[in-house]
Amino acid sequence: MLTTTKQELKSFEDLARSFAAKELAANREEHDRYPFGPFFDDVLARAYEVGLLGATLPEDCGGIGQGISALCVILEHISAVDASLGGIIFTNAFAQEILLTAGGKELLAGVMDKAADAPSALIAFPAFANPSETGVSLEAAKANHVHRLSGGIDYVVLGGLAGHALVPARIKGQKNYSFFLVDLVHQGVAKSRPIFSLGLHACPAVDLTLAGVEAKLIGKEGEGAQYFNQAADRMHAAVAAIACGIMKGSFQEALDYSRQRFQGGREIINWSGLRMILGQMAVQVKIAEMVVSEAALAVENQEPQWNLCSRAAALHLSELACKLTTDGIQCLGGNGYMKDYGQEKRFRDAKHVQAFLGLAPMRKLSVIRDMLS
Amino acid sequence: MVKPKEDEFLLEREPRFEDSFCSIQAIPQIPKLHLKETKKLVSYARRFNDEVVRPLALKTDLKTFQDPDYLPWDIVEKANQWGFYTMFIPKLFGGQGWSLPAHAYVIEELSSACVGIANVIFVHYLGFVTILASWNLPLINKICREVAAGQRTGNPCLLTLAITEPGAGTDVEEVELVDRGKVTCYAEKVKGGYVVNGTKIFISMGHVSTWHALIAYADLKKPSENTVMLAVKTGMKGFSFGKHENKMGQRACCASELVFQDCFVPDEYVLGDSRYFPNSQIRATGDLVNQIIHYVVEVTRASVGAFGTGVARGAYERALKFASETEVEGKLLINHEWTQIMLAEMYKNVIAGRLTYNEANYSNSLRGGIFHFLQIKPLYYYLKFIPQPIIDMFFVPFYKLKITNWLIRQIFVEGQSMEAQKRCSGWSSIAKFFGTDMGMKNSQMALEMMGQAGLRHENGAEKILRDSKLLQIYEGTNQLNRLNLFNCLIARGVPQARVFDE
Repeated sequence: MLTTTKQELKSFEDLARSFAAKELAANREEHDRYPFGPFFDDVLARAYEVGLLGATLPEDCGGIGQGISALCVILEHISAVDASLGGIIFTNAFAQEILLTAGGKELLAGVMDKAADAPSALIAFPAFANPSETGVSLEAAKANHVHRLSGGIDYVVLGGLAGHALVPARIKGQKNYSFFLVDLVHQGVAKSRPIFSLGLHACPAVDLTLAGVEAKLIGKEGEGAQYFNQAADRMHAAVAAIACGIMKGSFQEALDYSRQRFQGGREIINWSGLRMILGQMAVQVKIAEMVVSEAALAVENQEPQWNLCSRAAALHLSELACKLTTDGIQCLGGNGYMKDYGQEKRFRDAKHVQAFLGLAPMRKLSVIRDMLS
Repeated sequence: MVKPKEDEFLLEREPRFEDSFCSIQAIPQIPKLHLKETKKLVSYARRFNDEVVRPLALKTDLKTFQDPDYLPWDIVEKANQWGFYTMFIPKLFGGQGWSLPAHAYVIEELSSACVGIANVIFVHYLGFVTILASWNLPLINKICREVAAGQRTGNPCLLTLAITEPGAGTDVEEVELVDRGKVTCYAEKVKGGYVVNGTKIFISMGHVSTWHALIAYADLKKPSENTVMLAVKTGMKGFSFGKHENKMGQRACCASELVFQDCFVPDEYVLGDSRYFPNSQIRATGDLVNQIIHYVVEVTRASVGAFGTGVARGAYERALKFASETEVEGKLLINHEWTQIMLAEMYKNVIAGRLTYNEANYSNSLRGGIFHFLQIKPLYYYLKFIPQPIIDMFFVPFYKLKITNWLIRQIFVEGQSMEAQKRCSGWSSIAKFFGTDMGMKNSQMALEMMGQAGLRHENGAEKILRDSKLLQIYEGTNQLNRLNLFNCLIARGVPQARVFDE
């Protein structure tokens, strides 16, 4: 849909689609076994090589300097096959976005410049929590112009792999929180084992414990919430794109299966009850494509209320993806519940993606708060 | 007021009073002791949850990911020690003989803690009800006595139903579809028994069970009239286990592949062959097979409704605990008005699911329902209070008599009207798809409320979501159950309606 409006995005669509087909499709089940199987380092390395991890990163930081539309196109096509890589791309892009929003471009360029491989170029981030909702447990102490962080922080996505993490912390004596960049190879950083979670198994999170770890302040003190909200305004469109991709993948597998599986002497697609479910799924997928396209363009063109468009797109499509992937399993019957097919993973991933950027009900409430302010 | 004849006519109108108000009709007929029994069992189940299920639920789930070959022997052993495998087997067959309808409440309790482990226990009763619905008393008695011995000796003896095939899931659950389906499990009559070839899949608890109620077909072109029910014992020559499935959830309960290669099953283990069913006044051969299937699903689908209700409750309880302990924007989540409304909605879903499976149970307790016979008060109290040796002495010797067989068929086969079959089957389908939809709804809502915390395995909510989805699929997909409801309780009022015929 986006590529119809913006032809120049076609190359990103081709790149993401061929990457997903070549690198992700065949080993989807194996990749999903993490942390009880190996992590897909090779896939991550190739994603880094072809630029998927730096789509919105400015060119002078080593990225390809594209806008949110290109990111959405990439996320949609990657997530249709395996949303775990979508989760990695998203988390990293979100952390980069906060750094850029807070004026940390030079710092970001420095990190990218020193990165020798894919993991060291990644920036971990607690992408499932809005610190304003859940509170901030890390404390920053300042001495001799250096901030040192102490305390624990839960569920830092990519924290077990990435070279750096962007984390919220409260500077002693201050009410509002700030963002800090932490070098994860620092001695004072203790990481839990990868947290076994519902979905996005190959986009793992860890709990971090920091003991006086030196960290770089991002932007101004106490401005963390503003940076988070500004970045979230834009990046909600990317969440919508992941949800849309999952929906497309689920629909496609359901459609393919229903043309092959027989019941009562005919292909199940020829029973109108099943066809009705597929029809509903098709409608939802088309709506999702339109919503992602409109939201991305609204963000890019800074249309009136663009931030509401972006947030509404994510909230609506996350909900729709949960519904659609439930039907996606149902169309395959018992087979849909087994790991030999992709549907059960999409069902888990959809619910997982719904939790990006904080509690979904609180994000709905914030839409009204924004409208009123 | 209306005259008696008119009264009858008005009550016969849709929605028929008899089908729509099951509880009010059934409760006066049910022995009072049933309530006491139910209370005892619910408290027993709660203790089992505290001591066994909750400590094992997440640990076992995790173990299945670490060790794909895991089979739930440890849980089976515990459940056997606690007497769950004989609990609902009537004393007539050597079981503990607790009131059968009470099983649904126990299911809800156990499922609220872990539906996977609840299945480790109650899939056994799917096997039991299938064997029971054959009305082959000597064989039912033999198998159930082995289950009872298994409890006494500490060597669990579990039962399964083996019906689903690689190419036929929904088809094998409906006589109207099976002739058009791709069934392959072939039972050939030979001297002294049957030779079976074929494969069954998704057989819950197959690998750890001893007896399997196998549904096979003597003619693959016309399976509806050539259905053979065999009792196959683990270890029989030609019978082996294939893989067990890598499922999204309910991982404590294995789903097995059963492979039959020239497996000889002697005549003494034949539960029934539809070709030799005695003639019925009200049913053709295909309808008699259908009656057996429906006797099974009348119980088991309502039970799955109870599983779904239990899951809905588990999700609600997790969400309630989280909301009571977690602060969002500086105040406890439970003190946000939207949370209170969401929790009330979840609570309602549990209650509504429970009411539905209860009503299905009451339908089964009415005349023509499978629970009715053992709830006839004199028989109920006799079996309750007479010691087992006396039952064994005065009942068991009669099982092999032709007159007993005739009598049982009069009660359960000829004695069940088509209307009663449709009422029980229709209600069971409602309970199944409603309860399991509530399970799915609540598990989704719990995760929405919990956000990041809900994603973590250790918090249990994500497991509930994974477990929940299977309930909408097995015992007939929820789509099939909607069609069955239509077929049983709606289509009869519309003569031009055709089901499975578009």
